[in-house]
Amino acid sequence: MKYGTTFSFCWSGGSKLLLYHYSHVEVKFIKCFFKMSSFSRSAQQWATFARSWFLIDARMQPPGKIASMCSVRLQGKHKPIYHPLSDIGDHVVVMNTRHIAFSGNKWEQKVYSSHTGYPGSFKQLTAAQMHKKDPTAIIKLAVYGMLPKNLTRRTMMQRLHLFPDDVLPEDILKNLTEELPQPREIPRKLSEYTQEERNAFPMLWTPNVSGSPGSASIRHNPLTKAPLSE
Amino acid sequence: MSLLGMFWNQTVCLLQHFRGRKNRCYSLAVRAVRRAFVYASKARKAKRRSMRQLWIQRVAAASREQHMKYPALIHNLLKCSVALNRRVLCDLSITEPRSFQSLTALAHARRTEGLRAALGDGAEPPGVFSRITQLQ
Repeated sequence: MKYGTTFSFCWSGGSKLLLYHYSHVEVKFIKCFFKMSSFSRSAQQWATFARSWFLIDARMQPPGKIASMCSVRLQGKHKPIYHPLSDIGDHVVVMNTRHIAFSGNKWEQKVYSSHTGYPGSFKQLTAAQMHKKDPTAIIKLAVYGMLPKNLTRRTMMQRLHLFPDDVLPEDILKNLTEELPQPREIPRKLSEYTQEERNAFPMLWTPNVSGSPGSASIRHNPLTKAPLSE
Repeated sequence: MSLLGMFWNQTVCLLQHFRGRKNRCYSLAVRAVRRAFVYASKARKAKRRSMRQLWIQRVAAASREQHMKYPALIHNLLKCSVALNRRVLCDLSITEPRSFQSLTALAHARRTEGLRAALGDGAEPPGVFSRITQLQ
């Protein structure tokens, strides 16, 4: 099989360089503008089939979306040379799993059940209890359920690295090649909006709170609660 | 010419790797060989299905790299009368990534044609060669 002969935008991880900041984990990469076609055939093969290391920050993200991104990359389904038998999955490092954000009431309503097979050992834990016991368990179970149910699943799980906080060990930091964008845009809190943005927010009519019905209503800016002059 | 001899002469190449007494003893071997032939016949039909499934997975992976989803790519290439099948698209995505990138750009332009007509200034999208054709 021939391989792509164009350069750095191509999906193989071999032509990207990295810079790390050690204060907090931030991965940048500089694209190297040399052609993979100048490599020898064996070097091209090595670069094409090399295993990349992806980093995902799970802060304020839904764990299911994180898990689906992980499972796609662990199987190698993001590569055009995918084959289920080829073992071309990559490593995925997920950090800040302690700070994932379930939507709705799933922290109380989602139940993780397990049974060891012995009588009386049926355990049911809510997501909140499970998360308190082990902050990486939710994402681990989610990814495990999303991978294909065959013998390659265990090897893929071994290539998944979960960390509850953003402290990553040295050897993993050295291996990282790419950071993936977060699936969910984190909404800003009210305290993170500036006063100018709050004032510029489109105003809704509010009925007069203090006066009796029929009296002239004073319109308030709902965000700042300051009365508006006509 | 004994039937037994004929059997072993004809099938020894394909039952060498069978497990246990199926590769040595006639009664067991006959049954195993018959099953093997049936599986092979079924698999010849399933091979076409699994190859197409693999092509689709590969084209989907390649198009997602170009920020486009597989159904959108296929539908819009169809609308542009680009009659490339999944096998060819898969080969292009592996060996001709630039050509595949231009195909995704074409599909993206065809997909956003309505939006650009409604919101844009009527300019042609850059890098896309377009002309009005009658769909066959």
